[in-house]
Amino acid sequence: MSELLVRNAYVIDPLSGIKGDIMDIAIRDGKIVEEVGRNAEVIDADHCLTLPGGIDSHSHVCGTKVNFGRYMSPEDMRAGRTARKGVMHVTSGYSVPTTFGNSYRYSTMGYTTVLEGAMAPLEARHTHEEFTATPHQDMLANTLFDGNWSIMEAVRDRDVNRAAAVVAWTLSAVKGFAIKLTNPGGTEAWGFGEDVHSIRDQVPHFGVTPGEMIETMIRANEILNLPHSVHLHCNCLGVPGNYQTTLDTIDLVPDLNAKRQSLYLTHLQFHSYGGSTWRDISSKSEDIARAVNNKSQLAIDMGQIMFGRTTTMTADGPMEFKLYMLHHNKWSNHDVELETGSGIIPVYYSRKSLVNCVMWAIGLELALLVKDPWQCMLSTDNPNGAPFVKYPEIIALLMSRRFREREMALLDPRTGHYAPLPAIDRELDWYEIAVMTRAAQAKALGISGIGKGHLAPGAEADVAIYPLKPGLLDPSTDYQQVMAGFGKTRYTIKRGRVVARDGDIIVEGANSTIWTKANVPPEYNLSADPEFVKKFEQYYTVRMSNYPVQDLYLPRGVRITTEAAL
Amino acid sequence: MKFLLNTGRTIKQGSYVERKNSTAYRQEATSLHMHPVDMMDLEIEEESHVRVESDYGVVVMKVYPALWISQGEVFVCLGPYANHLVSPETHCTGMPDFKGMIVQITPTTEPLVTVAALMEQCGGIQYED
Amino acid sequence: MKIEDVVCPFCGCLCDDLVVEVEGTRVVSVENGCTLASEKFMGDHRLKSPIRRAGKRWEETSYNEAIRETAEILCDADRPLLYGWSGTHGEAQSIGIHLAELLGALVDNTSTVCHGPSIMAIQEVGHPGCTLGQVKNRADVIVYWGTNPIDAHPRHMSRYTTFADGFFLKEAFRDRKVIVVDVRKTESANIADEFVKIQPGGDYAVLSALRAIVMGKRGIIPLSVSGVSREQLFRVAALLLSAKFGAIFFGLGLTMSPGKYKNIRNAIELTEELNRHTKYTISPMRGHWNVYGSNEVFTWISGYPYAVDFARGIAFYNPGETTSVDVLRRKECDACLVVASDPGAHFPKACAEHLAQIPTIQIDPHTNATTHLSRIQIPVAVTGIDAEGTAYRMDGVPIRTRMLFKGNYPSDTEILERLYALVKEAKGL
Repeated sequence: MSELLVRNAYVIDPLSGIKGDIMDIAIRDGKIVEEVGRNAEVIDADHCLTLPGGIDSHSHVCGTKVNFGRYMSPEDMRAGRTARKGVMHVTSGYSVPTTFGNSYRYSTMGYTTVLEGAMAPLEARHTHEEFTATPHQDMLANTLFDGNWSIMEAVRDRDVNRAAAVVAWTLSAVKGFAIKLTNPGGTEAWGFGEDVHSIRDQVPHFGVTPGEMIETMIRANEILNLPHSVHLHCNCLGVPGNYQTTLDTIDLVPDLNAKRQSLYLTHLQFHSYGGSTWRDISSKSEDIARAVNNKSQLAIDMGQIMFGRTTTMTADGPMEFKLYMLHHNKWSNHDVELETGSGIIPVYYSRKSLVNCVMWAIGLELALLVKDPWQCMLSTDNPNGAPFVKYPEIIALLMSRRFREREMALLDPRTGHYAPLPAIDRELDWYEIAVMTRAAQAKALGISGIGKGHLAPGAEADVAIYPLKPGLLDPSTDYQQVMAGFGKTRYTIKRGRVVARDGDIIVEGANSTIWTKANVPPEYNLSADPEFVKKFEQYYTVRMSNYPVQDLYLPRGVRITTEAAL
Repeated sequence: MKFLLNTGRTIKQGSYVERKNSTAYRQEATSLHMHPVDMMDLEIEEESHVRVESDYGVVVMKVYPALWISQGEVFVCLGPYANHLVSPETHCTGMPDFKGMIVQITPTTEPLVTVAALMEQCGGIQYED
Repeated sequence: MKIEDVVCPFCGCLCDDLVVEVEGTRVVSVENGCTLASEKFMGDHRLKSPIRRAGKRWEETSYNEAIRETAEILCDADRPLLYGWSGTHGEAQSIGIHLAELLGALVDNTSTVCHGPSIMAIQEVGHPGCTLGQVKNRADVIVYWGTNPIDAHPRHMSRYTTFADGFFLKEAFRDRKVIVVDVRKTESANIADEFVKIQPGGDYAVLSALRAIVMGKRGIIPLSVSGVSREQLFRVAALLLSAKFGAIFFGLGLTMSPGKYKNIRNAIELTEELNRHTKYTISPMRGHWNVYGSNEVFTWISGYPYAVDFARGIAFYNPGETTSVDVLRRKECDACLVVASDPGAHFPKACAEHLAQIPTIQIDPHTNATTHLSRIQIPVAVTGIDAEGTAYRMDGVPIRTRMLFKGNYPSDTEILERLYALVKEAKGL
């Protein structure tokens, strides 16, 4: 039995309704408990800000395309490297760090759970191998269904039950967590070099539209009672005028779940553009935020961009090719048979680019204009908008109007003409930041029930103690301290153990992988379904028996089992 | 005569690759394929032994006629014999010039050597099962 | 006992549809496999026990002793090189890199003399690729450039390209066009719709000519480019552009020939240019069944696909400097651990000579050329036969190889774990 007591903590625990109380947190054997014995190890938090461990609900850190981002970018590997030290392995990389690099950097920022935003089912084993080498965070994998032939056939046949069955079989086979749609239909079209340009476009050869796919999958998701909702990367990412596609998508979303959103819209900054060309691109954050404010069944994350160098990587293959046509840097693409695609290019977001300045403004605007912080999570779509190490700076920008004004002064002076940011006064408070960086994620992902994102007795003892004393700081003016404080915890506690302290990693760590298994009635088990088996016999290049990820790839797998309403 | 030596995989080389000390592997890895017209010029028959020499080494091989190769070029499957002739220079790429070496080929009566003997020439000690 | 859907641990095709019959600790038949697969599974010539050199002769030794001596040699070395890795499973590769980290060693895999130049090119211009099923289901034009799949990847054409029926190509052999480019008329060239014979060393120029034609600059093409007539170049370019989905595969004919990584860069840029007109992908024909896995594992741990030097504490990568052939050529390393490969056979003579000069230890199921250069050899189980683990196909698809029977040999993972523990202890960690 190991016991730990965190004393004198300034706790904000939104899911428990605690908004800034000085209290003690008792931990036994990795769980939060009511109290511990007198022999418990004691940490004096000294009135520092103490939050549940951070949760990133959309980040690209593990798997085929992430590793290819490293593989093709020795210049990025050189841009961030540390030697082996104590229990720490060597790390390399700035925007696409090695797995240990990601893990240590997240850990020193107080993050204990990360969702990988895009896993191709065929290559799931790779994602899980990298999860195991990301030892300080519990990991979850969004599983890609955007170009899945069996799904598109079910959508064409208007058979939502079959779509649900395909999802159930696949999530179970690949140990995935949730349904991810990346440019639905677009990745299949990209198989022949095409794309779709609205939610009403036909996907070539399959006779379905992205809109039909999205609607069907939202319903299939609820039939399966999955913890998370459908996680959508909308069509037309990064295209001027795409806000209309985003609004059209939002119009489709029913309210089907009382506990959480019915659709999670990721990196919405990239989907909130007005104008018709790169010359007249403008912010449509007000329209998008209004739509989100009007529909409680939506949750979004920001997809903030930050200036500087990074690497873009997404399953959205056609988008990356378009981006390459603009940047003419190096370009990688990786289509995945019967399922999805992906692309990678390095980018540099410049303060001298009006387009980049408008993009930067839009992300912040979304966070400031969406009224309910539970509906808008902090993200950079790591590393697409910026590496996650920029989160503290984003927090500071959201908490300080003065900081924003200082930054605006460095931008293209026309930015204010195309984006409403200068007119927004709102400054987020500590509570709202706590919501946007862990509590809202736990709720949106549906994992608060397994003890994530809160500090109530029974919860996982994942705790972040930051060297920030809310009573003594005014974030509006002390934004530099806010930034520094969120960058390096005094203590990061993972499953009851101190794993990082003052920026140093002190244990090797051993994470869990959280996945979902939806039980379906026998007639919906596709293992022996002729049409489904035929996909493997005739079109896949991997045998059906070699496709599922074996249990041993998840040394500490945590299975969430649901019963499908089929 | 001077030739351009090209190397590559062959199905036999691949088949015997985990039996490098076998006669079959040695047979394949010492087989040098040459255009018949060049063989006439060298006045050699099929299975004649030749001495193949580069600036970096010399090795004995056995000649076979091949119509799929151009005159002036010879082909040997990749392996220790061909590599006995290769310069370790990589031009800062890590990759030696495994393809496109210039070699001098002359008829010889010298015998083929085993892989083990070839490695002993490199300073090793032969291991026999 | 017949085992179905067995994964073949020979070439980068990583076929996973073999049926293998096992009796006790012996494979007695192989169905669906190519010649290479049959030889691999049926092969029965393992090294019986660990061996060590005592002066000018060899003697048997125990696993304990061999591992202990290996640990001592590695700890004593100032500049150890850990080389090979492509013929073992990912879990063993992972321990190998962590061992290198611990030792401050150089660690390199067989890409260094294979597709290392392709990786360098990809690091310059990227890589538009895809999984092999994408090619099987869609590609109507296939190009094999500087590669001879019939000999090196015997089932590539029947599983993934020329002869494989796919979703959008119901009669593949009739519906697909195949272009083979090589300096010699290989077996693969014999079944091509268009064989382009290039003078040795002429790949770069021919690629440039095709790029120019695709860009609409036909006027600048001379009558002949590296032995290829202008008419044929025009014809090939038209064929390339006629594709709805084109797939280019290339091999060592590009990576090892003059120009090296610049050849690959040019081929990738041709692919990129073709993508402005239609859909194209390009893929290296990876040799070892798990060489791509070694690149993947190296990358997620160290940041670099091969040629990683931990001497400075951090991971340092500079092909041409930290690549095995260069390190051996400079006689820089003073000990070498070879795992699952045969540098004695596949490195230039000067490198083999240096391996013989320094204490070289080999972990491998079979005796090979490197055996004679070594001081110690530790036999292990063959992954895919009596050991199992993760492998990455040439297109990045990860597949778990199977253990068909439990034999008497330890796996690479077991040996390396023990070695790692000894080194860790010796370092006081």
